[in-house]
Amino acid sequence: MSQAHDATSGVTHSHKKHYLRIGAILTVITAIELALPMLKHYPEIWEPARPLWAPALIIMSVAKFGAVVGEFMHLRGDRRVYQFLFLSPLMLATVVFVLLSLLSVVMFRPFGAGYAVTAEAKALGFVEASTGPAFEQPLDDAKFAAAFDLAKGKEFADGKKVFGEKCAACHGPQGGGMPNLGLNLTDDCYKYGGSFKELYMTIGKGQAGGKMPAWAGQLKGEEIRQVMYYIKSLKGTNVAGGQPCVGDKMP
Amino acid sequence: MSAELATADGHLPDAGHDAGHGDHGHVSAENNFLGLPNIKLAMWAFLGSECMFFGSLIGTYFFYHGKSLAGPLPNQVFSIAITSISTFLLLMSSMTMALAVDATRLKRLSSARTYILATAALGATFVGFQVYEFSQFVEEGLKLSTSLFGSTFFVMTGFHGAHVTVGVIWLTMLSIMISNGKLNKERSPITVESAGLYWHFVDIVWIVIFTFVYLLEFIK
Repeated sequence: MSQAHDATSGVTHSHKKHYLRIGAILTVITAIELALPMLKHYPEIWEPARPLWAPALIIMSVAKFGAVVGEFMHLRGDRRVYQFLFLSPLMLATVVFVLLSLLSVVMFRPFGAGYAVTAEAKALGFVEASTGPAFEQPLDDAKFAAAFDLAKGKEFADGKKVFGEKCAACHGPQGGGMPNLGLNLTDDCYKYGGSFKELYMTIGKGQAGGKMPAWAGQLKGEEIRQVMYYIKSLKGTNVAGGQPCVGDKMP
Repeated sequence: MSAELATADGHLPDAGHDAGHGDHGHVSAENNFLGLPNIKLAMWAFLGSECMFFGSLIGTYFFYHGKSLAGPLPNQVFSIAITSISTFLLLMSSMTMALAVDATRLKRLSSARTYILATAALGATFVGFQVYEFSQFVEEGLKLSTSLFGSTFFVMTGFHGAHVTVGVIWLTMLSIMISNGKLNKERSPITVESAGLYWHFVDIVWIVIFTFVYLLEFIK
């Protein structure tokens, strides 16, 4: 039997060398693990083998896991009942982990997807209405502007509703902004650009390291467009008690 | 712990000798009907349940991964240098723990105590690194309530850190028990080995977290 199974059975020779060897192997694996992300600085090596890096890290992790459980905890060659007590829940936990990770992909709407195909969107040529992530598709400022002009004078009721639900918490019910939270949307200043396209991107992808959340996973493209129009209609209304101007003044 | 403390003084002559093979059916205060030491059997069963515990926490982290609406996000706060050092220290503490168990088996209690204290010191350093890491994250705006990332990350790594802390206290108590003679040569192998199993388990949880939560974030 292996030397590792009898830690308490009174065998008198030391396993010190064996443990030191395992420690050395673990050190080497860890060093490789840490060196791996640094290869990123060498794109000529990094890029061609890109699909291999994640599996390589997982294999090294499993190897370390196996070395500690098998050798340090000497489960390898130990009594079956210990192996059963530990390995069966471990397998169950692995299944739970894998299923949760897979469910996560299935249950949540991927970034920018899930757009409703409306007649209006089609007429405007919003390609994102069909398939694929919205932000890899060209967004046309002129088309946005044409739609905005058509809707001008109306109340932007749909956008206002979305604004009340999602934006008002930080930007204030009137859009005047709140200290340390959302910026004033009723002045003439835009920190992240005031064009239709830029507003659309700011709402969809977020800004300020996520202080302004990316709403693309929560709102449909249509809703983002509606709320963008509503926000655009707020420009220059300068509500009372609004926050000071931040960013560039837009004509 | 209570089982060890209760029997530490009135040790039984066969304690520590019959954990091996060939004595099935021998029932004593410490060994059950399978002829296995109760404390070790209980520890493996407990660690099995711990697999489910941490499996759920890590699974939940990945269920919500990339779904945070507010920042900062993992690649904005993680520091690979700091986490690598603490990871390596914890890994090495597993080796010193294995050496401690080896020393008790050879009845070298004072050398076992040295290894146990080294293990506890490495573990305490790991916890220190984690406290520093957490405080950095909070400074950068990531709190438990900030986002799904904040909640799932702090609950997962916080529970792991709590386990390491419990281990450090446990090992420190064992070294004190060796010093004042409460843990004798007959009793020490199984007691230290069981604590060691717990310690190694805490290490393997971190092996998983380090690769899946940290390293995979950096190769994207």
